[in-house]
Amino acid sequence: MRLKTSLLKEPKHQDITCCVAWTSADEVYSVSDDHVILSWNNFTSEATKITQLPNEVFPTDIHWFPRTTVMGKQQSSASDFFALTATDGRLYLVSRTGKIEKKVEAHRGAVLSARWNHDGTALVSVGEDGQVKIWSRSGMLRSTLSQNSTPVYSVAWGPDNNVLYTNGKNLIIKSLQAGNAKPLQWKAHDGIILKADWNAVNNLILSGGEDCRYRVWDSYGRQLYSSSTSEYPVTSLAWTPDGELFAVGSFSTLRLCDKAGWSHALEKPATGSIFNIAWSVDGTQMVGACGNGHVIFAHIIERRVEWKQFELVVATRKTILVRNVTDDSREKLDFRDRIVKLSMAFNHLVVATTSQCYVYSSKNWNTPMIFDLKQSVSLIVQAEKHFLLVDSIGISLYSYEGRFLSSPKYVGLRANVLNLQTVSLSNDTVAVRDKADEKLVYLFEAHSGKALSDKPLAHKMEVVELALDQHGPMSERRLALIDKNRDLYLATVRTFGTAHKVMKLAVMIQSMSWNDDTNMLAALQDGRFTVWVYPNTAFVDQALLPKTITEKDSSEFGKNPFIISFLGNHVTLRRVDGSLVTTGITPYPAILHGYVSSAHWDEAVRLCRFVKETFLWASLAAMAAYAKELATAEVAYAAIDEADKVNYIQYIKELPSKEARNAEMALFGGSPQDAEGILLQGGLVFRAIMMHINLYSWDRALELALKHKTHVDTVLGFRQRYLVKFNKSETNKRFQQYAEGVDIDWAKIEAKIEMEEQKEREGKRK
Amino acid sequence: MVVIEMADDTLVAVGLHLDDLKRLRVLEPDVAQETSELKEECKEFIDKIGEFQSIVGGFISMVDGLSKEVEKEKMKAIGARNLLKSITKQREAQQQQLLALITEKRTQLERLRLQYDALLKVEAEQTDFVEQYLLQR
Repeated sequence: MRLKTSLLKEPKHQDITCCVAWTSADEVYSVSDDHVILSWNNFTSEATKITQLPNEVFPTDIHWFPRTTVMGKQQSSASDFFALTATDGRLYLVSRTGKIEKKVEAHRGAVLSARWNHDGTALVSVGEDGQVKIWSRSGMLRSTLSQNSTPVYSVAWGPDNNVLYTNGKNLIIKSLQAGNAKPLQWKAHDGIILKADWNAVNNLILSGGEDCRYRVWDSYGRQLYSSSTSEYPVTSLAWTPDGELFAVGSFSTLRLCDKAGWSHALEKPATGSIFNIAWSVDGTQMVGACGNGHVIFAHIIERRVEWKQFELVVATRKTILVRNVTDDSREKLDFRDRIVKLSMAFNHLVVATTSQCYVYSSKNWNTPMIFDLKQSVSLIVQAEKHFLLVDSIGISLYSYEGRFLSSPKYVGLRANVLNLQTVSLSNDTVAVRDKADEKLVYLFEAHSGKALSDKPLAHKMEVVELALDQHGPMSERRLALIDKNRDLYLATVRTFGTAHKVMKLAVMIQSMSWNDDTNMLAALQDGRFTVWVYPNTAFVDQALLPKTITEKDSSEFGKNPFIISFLGNHVTLRRVDGSLVTTGITPYPAILHGYVSSAHWDEAVRLCRFVKETFLWASLAAMAAYAKELATAEVAYAAIDEADKVNYIQYIKELPSKEARNAEMALFGGSPQDAEGILLQGGLVFRAIMMHINLYSWDRALELALKHKTHVDTVLGFRQRYLVKFNKSETNKRFQQYAEGVDIDWAKIEAKIEMEEQKEREGKRK
Repeated sequence: MVVIEMADDTLVAVGLHLDDLKRLRVLEPDVAQETSELKEECKEFIDKIGEFQSIVGGFISMVDGLSKEVEKEKMKAIGARNLLKSITKQREAQQQQLLALITEKRTQLERLRLQYDALLKVEAEQTDFVEQYLLQR
């Protein structure tokens, strides 16, 4: 990936260009010290003069009022205007035509920067007087957020209406709510910080300064990346709106970097210092304000996507080269408009241009499905049967035939901040993490777009990453999620009225990914690379879970690697320095999954005997237990020396009725509620009561006995025996109450038990 | 004769003289003679001086012209020297730019090398696996 820059021969501005901003996908406004505002057409690089500012106005920064989206509806704000700051200490609100609508005395000394928040309800300005001021949309002073002893050079809004600003060598985050906790402040650079930016999608902070470095921080002020010193101070930097990339400008230098900090490409154009950088909304084009009066345009080319044997490169703005590595066949795909996004997975390539969406099948590169788009696409997520497009309005699902399926939405959905970590798609489900309350995960039926339940899944911590598994029946859909503490959880998705079951799989997880064709889960965990062969074990036999994983040391991938994909038996990881590394896992788990999903249990057992690996046996044991395939489960548990479980399975096998066996298997999986449900549904009330007696859940046993008017004396009898055995007296009020009216006659009880067992056996014979 | 001599004496006494042509003179003939000679010589001298002046004037203007030329050449030399200096500076800047680009490419190369190594390792693992599998069969 690199930047292709274009620069006119002669600068259009007479003096240094101070600031630039995009008005639409193809139009840029630039302002210079020669007091002229120019409008540039991106295609032709033609500049037209919008207006001449008064002679005393030396501009420092401009920012367009955001086009707000409220509840999925685009409000094309009629008042298309921007804020302009100047060295005369004033803040100007200027219309698209260049007319100064409003002029406010804002700071003493120069106003250095101003930024609208994401919905346009507030404007923050900073100046040489060290003040940070908040203004209303119409330019009325709301409050002075902060007062500092040194000039504040740069300011940015955070995702939750927090303000990030610079102060000398420090970065400061302050919340807008009055009386809130102390502002977060940390020393970020060894020289004065000239520019800072905060991305709403990935919540990362970027800073650059006179120490000639740029750095990436998380929102707690922890450093994620620090560049090496370059020759010149960093004068400008900016995130792309989707938070995947950022650009850094300094003297005759333009750098394109990944969000992890490593640099994709470096350009050395003859621009002088680049004072300001702005990205277009779709994040494919950028523009820079140059010290020698130029305005530099650049767009990203050579974006590269790899999927299995296919290698795709965006060669120019409108062409993609496809190469099939296995037979070295090449295709060239041409598009009418500029390519904005592309994604390839599950044998389909989805390309979003500025106006259309193209869907190619990897078997046929000649005839794509094409449909029109209303909005610029910010994210493509694919599943095997359909894919999802995210734009500024919302989420839309389409089939690979190009048919619109559904548009899941909820109150408060902010689609423009979604990324691959916060939205996930499987063949039947869409999961979206809420932005306002990051603990909530909204789950939708994919085909209808309806919510799966009234209430979203609420985790106890903020969720930072989520992923749905891709295989198996709809009812067994599982959601893997990583929370703020970097703990990995597995949750059930379809609950049919009951609460979501959430199981903790591991701690200290850096990154995770589901496999594309089996339900294996790979994760990076503090120096180890771990694959859960059958994560569902957590719901079958949690004690078995540690045995079902295959691990290897991940130190060869360096510190903090990131899983890009887990295709077949191959895992692709991105190291911190940006290099892609591939590693393999043994092919046996995939084969095992194949046998099990087609119910070839004998072959599965033979495979495990052949490989002789504990994790494979353990996985098979869990799979068999889940499928209630008792014979296989017995063999598998025997192979991993779980004698107690083998005994129990043998006991289950002897049970006369199917319901009883199923209930015992549910108990085996550690869920008495399920077991009780199965028993009661099968009419085995006595068994249910006995189960609760054996579990020492006396209250429930008594409740059942009373409800079904049977075996009350049995419950009381066993309770009495228990009390005698433990030398305790009855304290439970309900037992005291019922014990009075009932005689306990063990001979009678045993007779009744005998009768029940007889009945059950007979039931089986019938 | 005597009369003349006597007249002469009288004339001398009143400060008058007679010359050879018996014209009456105020100055003594010898002095007059020398004076006129001096006058001649002076005239000659003035002429010579004049000639010298014109020669010197020519010389000066010539030297002036020369000095101007020299000055011009000097400026040219200084300019050329500065140009040379700035070119070296430019070259240095260019070199620095190229070096930066080279470092960039080098890191990219390093990334690709790591990727290649990882792929080689995967290939080796797979070959091992296939061999093992064939052996076990």
